[in-house]
Amino acid sequence: MSGERGQTARIGDRALSSAFGPLTAYRLPLTAVRNLLRHRIRTALAIAGITVSTAMLLDMVLLAGGIERSFGRLLLGRGFQIRISPKGTLPFDTDATIPDATRVRRIVAADTAVVAVGPLLGTSLYLRMGDSLVTLFGYGVDPTAQANYQLESGQDLAPGDSSGVLLSRPVAERLGASAGDTVTLVSRLDPEAAVAGVERRLTVRGIVHWLYDYKGQPSVGALLPVMQDLARLRAADRVSALIVKVRRDKDADATAARLRTALPMLEVNSVAALVSRFRERLVYFRQLSYILGSISLIITVLLVSVLMTITVNERLGEIATLRAIGISRRSIVRDVMAEGTILTLVGGVLGVLLGAATARYLDRILTSFPGLPAAISFFVPESQSLALAGAVLLATGILAGIYPALVAARAAIAETLRAEAT
Amino acid sequence: MRELLTAHGLTKDYPMNGETVHALRGVSLAIGAGEYVAIVGPSGCGKSTLLQLLGGIDTPSSGRVELDEIRLETLADRELTRLRLTRLGFVFQRFHLLPVLTAQENIELPMAEAGVRRAERRQRSMELLSYVGLADRAAHRATQLSGGEMQRVAIARALANRPAVILADEPTGELDVHTGQSILELFRRLVKDGTTLVVVTHDERLAAEAGRVIHMLDGQIQTLNAER
Amino acid sequence: MAGMEATVRAGWVVPLLLITAVAKAQQPVSIAIERRLAERLRVQVGDTLSIGVDAGATDHKAIVSAIYEPAPDPAAITKREYFLRLHLPDLAALLGSPDRVERFGVALKPGVSPAAAAERLNQIAFGFRASPSHDIATESSQTFRVVSRFHQAIAVISVVASGIFLLCMMLLKVEERRRDAAVMRFTGISRRTIFAALLLEAVLVSALGSVFGVALALGASLVTNLYYQRFFDTSLVFSVVTPSIVRFSVLLSLGLGLAAGAIAALRLVRTNPLILWGRG
Repeated sequence: MSGERGQTARIGDRALSSAFGPLTAYRLPLTAVRNLLRHRIRTALAIAGITVSTAMLLDMVLLAGGIERSFGRLLLGRGFQIRISPKGTLPFDTDATIPDATRVRRIVAADTAVVAVGPLLGTSLYLRMGDSLVTLFGYGVDPTAQANYQLESGQDLAPGDSSGVLLSRPVAERLGASAGDTVTLVSRLDPEAAVAGVERRLTVRGIVHWLYDYKGQPSVGALLPVMQDLARLRAADRVSALIVKVRRDKDADATAARLRTALPMLEVNSVAALVSRFRERLVYFRQLSYILGSISLIITVLLVSVLMTITVNERLGEIATLRAIGISRRSIVRDVMAEGTILTLVGGVLGVLLGAATARYLDRILTSFPGLPAAISFFVPESQSLALAGAVLLATGILAGIYPALVAARAAIAETLRAEAT
Repeated sequence: MRELLTAHGLTKDYPMNGETVHALRGVSLAIGAGEYVAIVGPSGCGKSTLLQLLGGIDTPSSGRVELDEIRLETLADRELTRLRLTRLGFVFQRFHLLPVLTAQENIELPMAEAGVRRAERRQRSMELLSYVGLADRAAHRATQLSGGEMQRVAIARALANRPAVILADEPTGELDVHTGQSILELFRRLVKDGTTLVVVTHDERLAAEAGRVIHMLDGQIQTLNAER
Repeated sequence: MAGMEATVRAGWVVPLLLITAVAKAQQPVSIAIERRLAERLRVQVGDTLSIGVDAGATDHKAIVSAIYEPAPDPAAITKREYFLRLHLPDLAALLGSPDRVERFGVALKPGVSPAAAAERLNQIAFGFRASPSHDIATESSQTFRVVSRFHQAIAVISVVASGIFLLCMMLLKVEERRRDAAVMRFTGISRRTIFAALLLEAVLVSALGSVFGVALALGASLVTNLYYQRFFDTSLVFSVVTPSIVRFSVLLSLGLGLAAGAIAALRLVRTNPLILWGRG
């Protein structure tokens, strides 16, 4: 060996010795690391393979349930734990609306666990911009009980403010509008007469971030009666959905059950139930994540076990000698498994870094689904799942080395030495 | 002289290519404490097999081996391994050092396995390296040593846990004449210091140094030269 | 029949002819329901249902005049919605919005450019917008393009992982033969012959692996389709193994296997045989 490599080896060894010295079997990680470094290319390839597999596993763990977690957090972000929507639908899933909204609201508010009920109406409408019309999405809200927006600048709507409007940032930027400006909202366009059936001039009170909007969505919000007028739904007292806040989170399911009984013609769901229904729609991603995650683990097992098997086969003579001079089977097994463990650990750590990067990339792809709220993410970390995945990966790497380790330790000493001598 | 290592009616058969090879056909011998015994004979006569049985590396088809009145065949694998670690030392023809460890670490290996504390095994390993004349090569990896140096390290490793008996299988088989001479001188020192030594060899010089020479042929002891 | 709540959609396409909607709210309307709904409600042609826009207000009678199998729509399968069809005037009357539709489908005379026609319509449009069907299709298939891009990204990661795995296995496989290679060199076999032999092995292993891999992929594709078609009760095809995919996969695995085998073999034949034997 060249002097330089010898020097480097010595420095590295000193570092390893001082790092691992205090261990009872001092030589354990030292020998394992050195054995791995004996064949740098194959070790590097094995680590690279485990890295990519770990990255894939991590991404699949993040994906499995990621969007549900994200969706759940979004729904609960403002503390409203129950949603009421037209029968057979999820909120804003269809154009269907709830009739007799005031009566429904009264019934819901009468429940002792309920602290707030907010109506919500969604409708399409237009904004006059010079000679043209800009298509918008309109929200009818009750500012005292809402979970749909966060104020960014200006002021919120006051209760009873029937001349105020809130704009989303994309709309504000497109119009060059800010608080105090006036906008004209129109609806019920008559193509033959080329007139709008309903028109309202409103004053911008503030710029808000609509929590369920997709990226760049042009949205405006006004008090519910104003939006009902624009949608010609006031007479029928219709809303798209109702949001309900209960006193304690743990009462949500029970309260939802009571409201379901009181309102059999409506769809009443706690956030947990909504997330569950949402999960059914995205079952494909969950299944995909399980399949690809399993394949990642299989690849790790194969890589480690094949590498350890071949490595052990190459060192059978060495191992037989160790057994001959009195090194126990347990020490041999431990040595071999240590190599597999180190490979898995190093590959695992690198894989986490790679996985975090690929998760961001994959999330960018999936969150470009049209109509998906910008706040939603598909790859959402959850410490319990990550810890479990890490433990499973490590256990896999450790166990993958068991078979070759046992084979090595159980090889007949004399027979092996005889075979090595020939 | 106290009998340290004895063999009674040892036979060893093993299958090879569908036939049974009778490597040993009823071998009995006794080795006393402090003796230097050489086992010689043509290739395939069973001398290495005999050494492996004496060292507990292999199990006889029949017969028994006793070390200090401990019958090896009564021991479980773990106990036998422990015995090899603490009471026996092995030197192989092809050295069989761990290439990833330094000379010193190779010597420390059996001591670490025996639970010797770090400071103590560091000290002893350096002592042994000095004993075999390689104190300045302590930090060199096994692959950086010459054949003779590797064999001397292997001998030092065999001495690490102060064994009762050293068993050497063709210790100069891979070495040139000059290097083999250094091993011979080392063995002389060991014998002089009272080490019990059993050496299987083709090397006439090693055989000539032995206090007793056992000639083997066809799996049996032919002659036992009297002590010189 | 038991009352049925249905979320109805006014998506019925009509030719550009004027249809007079006659409000016959009290007369049963004629509806066509999709097969899955018919199975769930256990209705047949001729049965009478009660339908309405609001749950609790299903007071309109409807006679099932047909049961149909809707064209498989990937966008609809996860939502598990049921569809039924009414004549446009009946639906408009039901919704209380006579003479209102969501869209028109326009068939053009031969030779007329859809884009040009749409542009002319948009110039006079008020309250509607015209778009060529192709643009609509592109827009509405955005979801599947996202899924497709996601699959491609996963495929790239899988290919990288597989490539590394293949390289590693080939390297190990060739290195396992180091002593054989040493003996061959000792006995005078040339480097070229040894290289060719090792490369041939690598090619054979890669080829066999490719064959098994394709067979496995075909099996997995079959199972995937069987499973999801049953799960979603649809005839949509979820997985397709096309000749180009097979070609790409086989070429990639052969190429990688060959490259890995060649690199490993080259390393081996360039190494001193004594070192290969373990003596150097």
